[in-house]
Amino acid sequence: MTRAASGRAFPWDAVGLIVLIAAAAVAPDVLRALFGRASVSYLSIVTNALSLAILALSWDMLARTGQLSLAHAAFYGAGAYTTALMLRHLELPMWLGIPAGGVVAVLFALLLGSMTLRLRAIYFAIATLAFAEVLKSIAHHAPTAFAGGNAGMNVAPLFRPAFVAGEMERWEVAFLRNEAYFYVYAGLLALTVLVSMALQRSRLRHAFTAIRTNEDVAGVMGVRPARMKLLAFMLSAAGVGMLGAVEAHRIGSVLPDQSFAVATTVLALVTPIFGGLYTTLGPIVGALGLSSVQELLRRVFDDGYLIGYGVVLVMTILFMPRGVVGSIGYAWRKRGSGPSRAAPSAAPGSDAAGAPTRAASDAPADDPRAEAGGDA
Amino acid sequence: MIDPTLVLQALVSGILAAGLYALVSVGLALAIGVIGIVNFAHGEFFMVGAFFAYQLFVSFGIDPIVSLFLVAPALALIGAAIYASTIRFVLKAPELNQMLLTFGLGIILQNLALLVWGGDPRTIAGIPYRSVGFELGPISVGLVPLASFLISLALVLGLYWMLARTATGRAMRAVAQNRVGAALVGLEVNRVYLVAFSLSALLAGIGGVMIAVIQSPTPTIGLAFTLKAFAIVVVSGLGNIRGVLFASLFVAIAESMVATLVPNGDTLRNAVFFAIIFVVLVWRSRRIA
Repeated sequence: MTRAASGRAFPWDAVGLIVLIAAAAVAPDVLRALFGRASVSYLSIVTNALSLAILALSWDMLARTGQLSLAHAAFYGAGAYTTALMLRHLELPMWLGIPAGGVVAVLFALLLGSMTLRLRAIYFAIATLAFAEVLKSIAHHAPTAFAGGNAGMNVAPLFRPAFVAGEMERWEVAFLRNEAYFYVYAGLLALTVLVSMALQRSRLRHAFTAIRTNEDVAGVMGVRPARMKLLAFMLSAAGVGMLGAVEAHRIGSVLPDQSFAVATTVLALVTPIFGGLYTTLGPIVGALGLSSVQELLRRVFDDGYLIGYGVVLVMTILFMPRGVVGSIGYAWRKRGSGPSRAAPSAAPGSDAAGAPTRAASDAPADDPRAEAGGDA
Repeated sequence: MIDPTLVLQALVSGILAAGLYALVSVGLALAIGVIGIVNFAHGEFFMVGAFFAYQLFVSFGIDPIVSLFLVAPALALIGAAIYASTIRFVLKAPELNQMLLTFGLGIILQNLALLVWGGDPRTIAGIPYRSVGFELGPISVGLVPLASFLISLALVLGLYWMLARTATGRAMRAVAQNRVGAALVGLEVNRVYLVAFSLSALLAGIGGVMIAVIQSPTPTIGLAFTLKAFAIVVVSGLGNIRGVLFASLFVAIAESMVATLVPNGDTLRNAVFFAIIFVVLVWRSRRIA
């Protein structure tokens, strides 16, 4: 059963990865050849999409254990503030801030994760949200001399391409800078994808699915929920922490409201649901899809284009409840295999697209009061 | 030394502020407890209520007190329309789907409001009673916060009474306990949900009218109130109205105490609120097991 499921599901992930890497390698030059000067802004749009993909895929890795985090802004902000603080107070190479951001985010994840181990569903979500909001307040109230307080801190850019008069045009400086950032983001995304695929190929995938479906039963069957949940938490935070650090350099500053924005948390959650949960491909497709939708709407409608964005989200849930990738995969399997329809239903745990609906709906949604202990 | 009158003043302000928290949270508790829908657009109903009150005042000079009676049915209608067009299709869907759907609805409502009213804070200026206050010994009480507290309290208690005593309320509780069983004994589950969702939006809308008088809202206040209401509802055990009242009182008084007694404490309100929520959730989960 496992072999059949992996034989069906994994080549798509591998193909997707190869296509992505190939596309990433040539993307800047293709854009430049096609659009010339305009490629500068196109490149930064694509980079934003990659950033969203890293965020979404990281969030999804944690969600695979059934933990719906609303704390990803905290990991992002922790990464951003780490690199900014190192830059300000330590005489170290700038690049070290990025792995350090990841490490600090992992430590926060360990702290938060071990405190929230017993909380489930919406209780977990609200506790993580509260944690992130408290961190934001701490950033607001940090002593100005140490971490900037309300005013935040400036962060030096990672790249300063030099302008060579006569040999290049002005806009090419911006292009070179954006190109360099693009490769950093693409590399970070590749790293996140590799971690995600490694998780999906290993036995951990089944452990995560078991915990998501029913934590108590998973525990009885020999999975260690606490250990698995913490592992997922740390892996998820690592990528987001590094992303926050890189993004701080790209934006040029850290600010409490910007680095710990609730919007980061919301996007981290919205994108994988849109694309398809509990897969590697889903969050990436979700990120590319949502970024394209947003950019298109912005160009067409200008003011109030986010209304259209909201409409797209609503329509997706109403008509593609499994997300884009999940729904396409589901339709494909239904159509392609009349006789072998028994296969997916016989293995709900290993069915990437079918599992979320079943796993998540039965426990928390039908009985919202099913807390760890129940209340008076 | 801490001045005792300051503490008393903070206590009174906290209690008065708790009314609005309770009102907004109780509406959300209804949506979660009765319908089982994780509604992340709840705060947008609140925001829409505030801007309806503002527009009624600016366009027709209608006093916010009168607006209460106009905004309430309007929000009930909007709630019913949203339920009928979207929410009822995701009742059995996973929580995450409900979250994405209601986030989407929230984005639509918020950006519609931004399109209509722009991003600047809007004030209902020139109502005579806005700055009226009473001096009760050493402490002062504003008329508007007091009135909003009393209205909120009346509505929350009214809701409690309705759920306990009326046929509609009993139907809601029955549906909340067991949707299949309720349908089997002849309740029209979908209609009960529709009423509950309208009521939820209505309560938030009334809260919005009051915030329009108390503060100067922008179209982006919704999410903050959604998150706070969620925190209160979750801490009080999802759908427990007495719990919502108690939790609202507790966090509002704590916020007010810190804002008054700690230097520069006004900016610490959110930190206090969410720190309490976090500690309560984590502590309770440990104690239970």
